[in-house]
Amino acid sequence: MPTQPFDAAMLRADFPLLAAQPDLIYLDNAATTQKPRAVLNAERHYYETTNANVHRSAHRLAHAATEAFEGARSTVARFLNAASSDEIVFTRGSTEAINLVAQSWGRSQLQAGDEIIVSTLEHHANIVPWQLLAYERGLRIVAVPLLANGQLDMDAYAALLGNRTRLVAITALSNAIGTRPDLAAVIAAAATVGARVLVDASQAVAHDVIDVQALGADFLVFSGHKAYGPTGIGALWARTELLNAMPPWQGGGEMIERVSFAGTTFNRPPYRFEAGTPPVAQAIGLAAALDWLIALDRAALAAHEDALRLRLETALLARDDVRLVGTAPNKGPLTSLAFSHAHPFDVAQFLDARGIAVRVGHHCAQPLMDAFNLSSTLRISLSAYNVSSDIDTLLAALDDTLELLA
Amino acid sequence: MMPDRDTLTRQLKSTTGWEGKNRLLVQMARELPTLPASLRTESHRVQGCESQVWLITHWQDQLLRLQLDSDSRVIKGLLVLVLAAYDGQPRAAVAGIDFNGWLAELGLARFLSSSRANGLAAIVQRIRDEA
Repeated sequence: MPTQPFDAAMLRADFPLLAAQPDLIYLDNAATTQKPRAVLNAERHYYETTNANVHRSAHRLAHAATEAFEGARSTVARFLNAASSDEIVFTRGSTEAINLVAQSWGRSQLQAGDEIIVSTLEHHANIVPWQLLAYERGLRIVAVPLLANGQLDMDAYAALLGNRTRLVAITALSNAIGTRPDLAAVIAAAATVGARVLVDASQAVAHDVIDVQALGADFLVFSGHKAYGPTGIGALWARTELLNAMPPWQGGGEMIERVSFAGTTFNRPPYRFEAGTPPVAQAIGLAAALDWLIALDRAALAAHEDALRLRLETALLARDDVRLVGTAPNKGPLTSLAFSHAHPFDVAQFLDARGIAVRVGHHCAQPLMDAFNLSSTLRISLSAYNVSSDIDTLLAALDDTLELLA
Repeated sequence: MMPDRDTLTRQLKSTTGWEGKNRLLVQMARELPTLPASLRTESHRVQGCESQVWLITHWQDQLLRLQLDSDSRVIKGLLVLVLAAYDGQPRAAVAGIDFNGWLAELGLARFLSSSRANGLAAIVQRIRDEA
């Protein structure tokens, strides 16, 4: 597919929800992105022309549905530059993918006294599944602290790594404050103690080009809905030798080879981890979203989003009643704010009244909020279809709101 | 003197638009005294609110008395409505007060459908549990 020139205003027209609500300024993209027409059409086309159950029935339609579903798996593999589409397990999203790794790899590989390192940046989805495993198995969860600007404290990380470290679970891009940890350094250091690394790419997937072979991690997870795809679909990437050694975690159809009351043998990966009828239409929608992203000039997209963030943050830094929470270099395109005299919830209420959608709260990252001694922030998160006038409208509304709440 | 239910109804109904209603709630919040830090304790905090809300109830001459506060000004404005609806009511009357219905009448039903509603619902539930 030829690369399209980058034009945010033109892209915006490709999103039916945004086209139908021209006054909406949607700045909650880290929660979920809007969906381009290509994704909606792909799901609709599948249901109108191809719908059947996959991997079983011996008829033309079922064959076509299976082809489309497995084609979607190949698209995900291509998007991540995985060595094989067998390394892609479809899940409901990042959360389920992390739980899969915790329950399958974790329960089969980890023993009492083993340690899992997580960063203080993590979303609850990359903390709680490990805690559940830790309670059950007597593991230790160790958190890497942050520097004042929200960067990972790499010296502390190096000191935490040891011969009991079995896994490092880390985000590629913090959903709450935008920090991009130095993944190459994190992964290289983990390798020196033989620890596996799981990368939570939930936020990175919409913004960064991901190459799992170059990255050298062991597991990577993402959710489709944060990258212009449907809800209810995401993926786990894991290297083949890891998947081959992992036992099933959910039982049902699809994941078996042969079932009898004397005993059951299991299908090979990735099917071993996909019990039951998979979300076929959602997988096809996800593939359409990733194809849509692949067709964009990704470097131009990243530059566009970063320029919007800088436009916003430069203006906010001039204010003494607003504090940027997280100022790490090479941040992703989101900005988290605290106010000297206004509650983030109140600010968001007034922004909402002007059609500006932002997120307030702890962003499912309470340990991170605790580290900054905050209970909530207001988060502005950017996407391909945001334009500079969105930022200017937001800044004007913030001016009015903070004056009103002064 | 806190505004009574009729005054609040008249003010909120005559204010159209979400921004205007938010503005009015913030103005109303100024009427509600700040709880001293000594009373802003964990046991007085209402769980389920995205902002911090503190609620103290007691009975005086068989009538319900409320002290309320929040660190959010919009929520504090809503607490003025809670106060107008419940403060000074006899025990027998509390269960019969249709607070949600009143909010809807005032054009504030949005606060019931958003995640904030859980907080407001938790406040009202805690008051009803007292009666």
